[in-house]
Amino acid sequence: MHTKIKCLALTTLFLSSSALFAADLTKAYDMPEATKMIEKDLFPAATEYAMPKSCDLTDPKAIARGDFMFNNLNGKKAKGKLPEGLAKFVEKTGKDGKVKKKPKQYGNCIACHDVEGSKGAGNIGPSLVGYKAMFVDTKVRDAQFVYQKIADPRIDNANTHMTVNLTTGLFNEQEICDYTAYVLSEKKTK
Amino acid sequence: MKKVLLSLAFLSTMAMLQLNAGEQFAMSDADRAMYTEMLENNPADIFVEEGGEILEEALGGEEALAKFLEVSEKDLPKYIAGFPRYIKKLGNVVGLDQVMQAMQVEQGKEKTKLKSGKMFSMLAYVKSLANDELINIDVEADEHIKASYALGKTTYMTARGGRGLSCNSCHSADIIGQVLRTQPLPDLGEVAVAGTWPAYRMTKSSLRTPQRRFQGCMKNALLKVIPIGSKEMIALEVYVATLAQEKGKKIAIPGLKR
Ligand code: HEC
Ligand code: HEC
Repeated sequence: MHTKIKCLALTTLFLSSSALFAADLTKAYDMPEATKMIEKDLFPAATEYAMPKSCDLTDPKAIARGDFMFNNLNGKKAKGKLPEGLAKFVEKTGKDGKVKKKPKQYGNCIACHDVEGSKGAGNIGPSLVGYKAMFVDTKVRDAQFVYQKIADPRIDNANTHMTVNLTTGLFNEQEICDYTAYVLSEKKTK
Repeated sequence: MKKVLLSLAFLSTMAMLQLNAGEQFAMSDADRAMYTEMLENNPADIFVEEGGEILEEALGGEEALAKFLEVSEKDLPKYIAGFPRYIKKLGNVVGLDQVMQAMQVEQGKEKTKLKSGKMFSMLAYVKSLANDELINIDVEADEHIKASYALGKTTYMTARGGRGLSCNSCHSADIIGQVLRTQPLPDLGEVAVAGTWPAYRMTKSSLRTPQRRFQGCMKNALLKVIPIGSKEMIALEVYVATLAQEKGKKIAIPGLKR
C-alpha cells in the first residue's frame, strides 16, 4: 500500500516534469483560421454587361438616387432626407438564421471623384465635373461605356483603382442604372 | 527627437496642402495642434508602461522572454525588431503576442486573448524594447518565413469584398499621396507601419496594434475582416514590414496617429 502510493507520486512527478521540458507548444497559442474567410470573400473575374433596356436615364427619381448614392458611404452615415426608392438599412439573414438590420451601402464615389457641388471629394479618379458636356455631348463616351465602367471597370482597365460595383454583388442592375443616370445628367453647381 | 522632427515635417507638408485645398483634408487646425502636443506626451506611453508591468508580474519580464526565445538579453532588442519570425518550438511564423501566449501556457497560466487591451499593452511594451533598432526581418531566413512573405504579398494584392478592393488598390506606389475623401493615401513603407504601430490612434482614443489597424482598413473598404493572429494577418505584417525595411526605417514605439 505504502509503496504503491510512493510509486504513483513518483510517476506523477516524472510525468509533470517531462511535460515541462518537452511540452508541445505548437498549439499553445491562438492562430484563428482566415483562409476560408478570404476565399468566400472573392468575386468573379472582369465581366461584361450590356446596359439593360429598363434603364431610364432621364427618370428624375433614378438621377436623385444616383446623386445620393454617389455622395454617401452608407445608411448609417447618411444625412438628410433619402430619395424615393432608397433605404437606410437592409435586412440580412445571418448564418444563425436571425434577421439583422445592416446599413445599406452606397457607392461613395465622391471618395475618388469630384463632381458638381461636392464636399471633400477625393482625386484618385478623374473629376466628373461637366461630364455630360465634355464627354457625352461630344460622343467621346456613351451611356453603355459609363454603365460598364461603374458595373465593372476592369473590362476597360485591368489595373484600375476603381471599385467594382455589380460583379461583387453589392449593387443590382437598377442601382447601376441610377449611378449612370446621375453621371450622364446635366448638373447645376450646388 | 528624430521622431518629432520627422512628424513635424510631415505636418507642415500637410499644412501647406491644407492652405491650397480648403476643406479637402480630414485633419482640422485644432486636430493638428492636438497632434503636435501629443507628440511631446504620447497618451499611449501609459499603456506601454502598464504592458511592462504586466509582463514583469505575469511572465517574468524581458529576462524570461529572452530565455524563452533562446537569445541573450543583450540581443533581445535586435531579435524583436525581426518579428514576425519562425519560432521552431511554436511550429509557425508567429507574432510576439503569440510568443507571450505560449509562455503563459508553458507557465501554467491562462493565455491572454490576442485582441484584448491587456495583450495590446504587453505587445507595445515588448516591441518598444527594440526602439531605435532598424526593422530587420529576414524573409530568406527559412522556408517558413519565405512562405509567409509570399502569402502576405498575395493577401495584400487580393481584391475582394463588396467593393472589389485590395490593400494595393489604395496603397500601391502609383496612388499614394492622392486623396481618398479628405484623406491622403499613406505610403506604408514611408510612414513605417512596422516601426510605428502599436500606436495611439487619436480618432479611436486608444492604443492600436498593426493587425488591428489592418482590420480598420478592411472594415472601411468592405473587405471581410480577418482575425488577429491568423496566418494571413501575420503574413500581411511580414509583407508590410519589408516595405519600411527597404527604406531603412527604425522602430519607435508607441507611434502617434491621426
Ligand atoms: C477607389 C476609387 C474610386 C471609387 C470609389 C470610384 N471610382 Fe470611378 N474611377 C476611379 C478611377 C481611378 C478611374 C479612372 C481609371 C479607370 O477608368 O479605371 C475612374 C473612372 C470612372 C469613370 C469613367 C470616366 C471616364 O469617362 O473616363 C466613371 C463614369 C466613374 N469612374 C464613375 C464612378 C461612380 C459612379 C462611382 C461610385 C459608384 C465610382 N466611380 C467610384 C476611381 C474610383
Ligand atoms: C479604400 C482604400 C483603402 C484600402 C482598400 C486599404 N486602405 Fe489602408 N488606408 C487607407 C487610408 C485613406 C489610410 C489613411 C487613414 C488615416 O489617415 O487615418 C490608410 C491607412 C493605413 C494604415 C496606417 C498607416 C499609418 O501608419 O499611418 C495601414 C497600416 C493600412 N492602411 C493598411 C492597409 C491594409 C493592410 C489594407 C488591406 C487589408 C488596406 N490598408 C486597405 C485606405 C485604404
